[in-house]
Amino acid sequence: MTALTPPEALGRRPLKALVQFVVLYGALPIIIALMYLGFGLIEPAFHSGENAINILKQSSYLAILAAGQLFALLTRGFDLSVGQLISLVSVAGGLVMLDVLEGSPGAVALAVFAGIAVGLGAGLATGVVNGVCVAVFRINPFVVTLGMLGICMGFATTLSDGFPVFNLPEGLTNTLSRADVIGIPVPVIAALLVLGTAYVILNHSVLGRSMYVIGSNPRAAHTAGLRSRLHLASAYVICSVFVAVGALLLTARTGSGEPNLGGGLMLQSIAAAVIGGVSLRGGEGKVIHAVYGALFVTVLSVGMNLIRVDGTIQQIILGIVVVAAVYLDQLRTRFR
Amino acid sequence: MSETHRDDRAAGAGQDELLLAMAGITKRFPGVVALDDVDFDVRRGEVHVLFGENGAGKSTLINIVAGTYPQDDGTMTFDGRRITHLTPHQSRLAGISPVFQEFSLAPDLTVEENLFLGREQARWGVLRKGAMRTRAREVLHDLGFDLRPGARVGQLMRAQQQMTEIAKALLQDLKLFILDEPTASLTERETNRLFALIERLKGEGVGIIYVSHRINEIRRVGDRVTVLRDGKKIGTVQASNVEETKLVEMMTGRRIDALFPDIAAMAGDAMLDVRNLSTVDGRLSDVSFEVRAGEIVGVAGLVGCGKSELARAVFGLDKFSVGELDVLGERVAHPTPTGMLKRGVCYFPSDRVAEGLALSRPVRENASVAALDLADFTRWRFIRRRQERTAIKRIVEELRVRPPQIERSVDHLSGGNRQKVMLARGLTRDIRVFLFDEPTVGIDVGAKTEVYQFLGELTKRGAAVLLISSELPEVVNLAHRVYVMHEGRIVNHLEGNEITEEAVLASFFGTGADAPSAGAAAG
Repeated sequence: MTALTPPEALGRRPLKALVQFVVLYGALPIIIALMYLGFGLIEPAFHSGENAINILKQSSYLAILAAGQLFALLTRGFDLSVGQLISLVSVAGGLVMLDVLEGSPGAVALAVFAGIAVGLGAGLATGVVNGVCVAVFRINPFVVTLGMLGICMGFATTLSDGFPVFNLPEGLTNTLSRADVIGIPVPVIAALLVLGTAYVILNHSVLGRSMYVIGSNPRAAHTAGLRSRLHLASAYVICSVFVAVGALLLTARTGSGEPNLGGGLMLQSIAAAVIGGVSLRGGEGKVIHAVYGALFVTVLSVGMNLIRVDGTIQQIILGIVVVAAVYLDQLRTRFR
Repeated sequence: MSETHRDDRAAGAGQDELLLAMAGITKRFPGVVALDDVDFDVRRGEVHVLFGENGAGKSTLINIVAGTYPQDDGTMTFDGRRITHLTPHQSRLAGISPVFQEFSLAPDLTVEENLFLGREQARWGVLRKGAMRTRAREVLHDLGFDLRPGARVGQLMRAQQQMTEIAKALLQDLKLFILDEPTASLTERETNRLFALIERLKGEGVGIIYVSHRINEIRRVGDRVTVLRDGKKIGTVQASNVEETKLVEMMTGRRIDALFPDIAAMAGDAMLDVRNLSTVDGRLSDVSFEVRAGEIVGVAGLVGCGKSELARAVFGLDKFSVGELDVLGERVAHPTPTGMLKRGVCYFPSDRVAEGLALSRPVRENASVAALDLADFTRWRFIRRRQERTAIKRIVEELRVRPPQIERSVDHLSGGNRQKVMLARGLTRDIRVFLFDEPTVGIDVGAKTEVYQFLGELTKRGAAVLLISSELPEVVNLAHRVYVMHEGRIVNHLEGNEITEEAVLASFFGTGADAPSAGAAAG
């Protein structure tokens, strides 16, 4: 294209603007926009306002999980237990709500609050164990979170006997999934709050600064006097708590405590973060990357659903995209 | 490569003597012109030294010769043939053998396996281990390197890895040998071996490109010296009759009256007092020393004598088993980096890449990182970003970091500027005791003088400075008192006029001046 247009031609200007945009924001926003337009050409229903809201809502859940994963990735680790933690939080929260309702029928608000508290508590506990094992005992994060994956799965299955926890209060779904504030769905608001918190931690707190340095060079962080063990452990705690928030929102959406809720979400959360541009080498990644990645994965999967791509094939495609994204990230740093 | 043997040696001089000729070499990287119209040549049997500050273009030039990346402009002739589109593989086949500072060794393989990496000898697909081991032994013996072929490279000291790298380069048919700062991690003895080797290779007609910052080395091994500055060739001079000041002037573009500033001693109260310290790992045993306000205390000794561990133990990076440590008159039972910084002690590690800096993070974050517990930079554990920016900008300008952009990531900076970013940490908070481990390793002469002046500035302000260094001239010229270490112990203490290179060297191999090996090592 450049060969056809003389250097001084006006045609160069949009191209230059495009290059500048890519340099500033990466290629992903453009790819997401193109994907959105492309799916709409194949299936016009994709461009309905309803679907736009749907995509936004769907990507909210994933953005929260990806933001959690971002903290683990930043410190040179990752969290494989994310998916099964979601199942555990969903089942445990659901059972607590039923228990409270059984004791005092009608106390819906109390039941929902108790469920949320237990769910967040489970997330916190998981995060602390993960964090202590990685930061204090210096066990490889892969092994720690893989073990935790098994533990969470075991608890979720045992607590629920493998069956979904039905009859959760309507109020849960009504407030945390269907409701909106001035037209913005509650999950989207929740996501904005979580992402905002992540942004403030990473960009304005000593903890966040420390995480970047730890991820970039753990030994330098120690030599510079940072309390690197505490900060490293905190990354896993924040990750798990965010995931618990996401799990409660997902539970509200399905309206039942699901022992299989988190099945594919570990891959999706890592996929979203990595596709979004978070480096697997640690020390590099921003909150906006989690947002980009979540939008990308959601647009892709909603789009594939609408043009009726088989679910299993979707998994294959997502897997390929993740590997490709990591490869592209390596190319990017090599050419820097 | 039969062309070499065709050349008419009897005819002697002229075109045939030139092994490598590069003309008008230009290389651009995004945002910088790394090399600008540079001419460079190497004759057979000659050592041509490339001299210049970090970022002057030395590395770019040798990388082009090694085929790491192509030049944008200019021509290159090697061994009488015009060379285009050179790849690292082709350059090795042509007899060009580079030894870079970043090693190309596989840490989990043995010395011997590394030597034959990529050119294993095999018969019917089975490795001829015996044959390779014999050959490896021969090569290592030939070089006089004290290396076990079966040793795992990852477990070797840096100096030994350097020797492995050199041996590896010599295993092939060699016409042009490239050495990038080869002596940075070698001891005196190993350096002498290397120089003997260079002499031998010269005799065999091998051309050598020798990249170095060290002026005394240049005189010892160099035939010609080409000085680069900011990607341009400043000039080529004969190594034998060039003045040191002239070289520094060419390199920096400004006059340097004295390399080492005269720093007056104003020893005050003891800021750091260490008594009978031994570490758990046994690398330090029964060490006692003190550093007073307003003085520079040097620590000298061979690689591995425990001088680095001295600072590491004080700063809480190595655990000590017994001993007492007082900082500003207060007992510290369990030093940690966090706690020592709070007490006003800062450690500057020798290996800035491995331990000092978060390379992918910006200058600002690397400079402020040791002061994030102070109200100057934070409030309620949140960073006051504007204050941070202002303070770091001021410090970066004071230290003359180039470029003075605080948002640039540190991996884009040269060695000297990286060190300045490290030094900035000492100015972000009230540091009273500075522990420097090899503060000028891998940085150019221009930056060195700036570091020396920085040390002088610190002592003038009443700071206590511990200067651990393998560069003897540095210790001898700057320190007011010198401790010499050997095998984890302090074996000598010199003061004032006693501090001479001979006196320090004499203690390198054990106690006192009567050690029998001392004379041999000095010579």
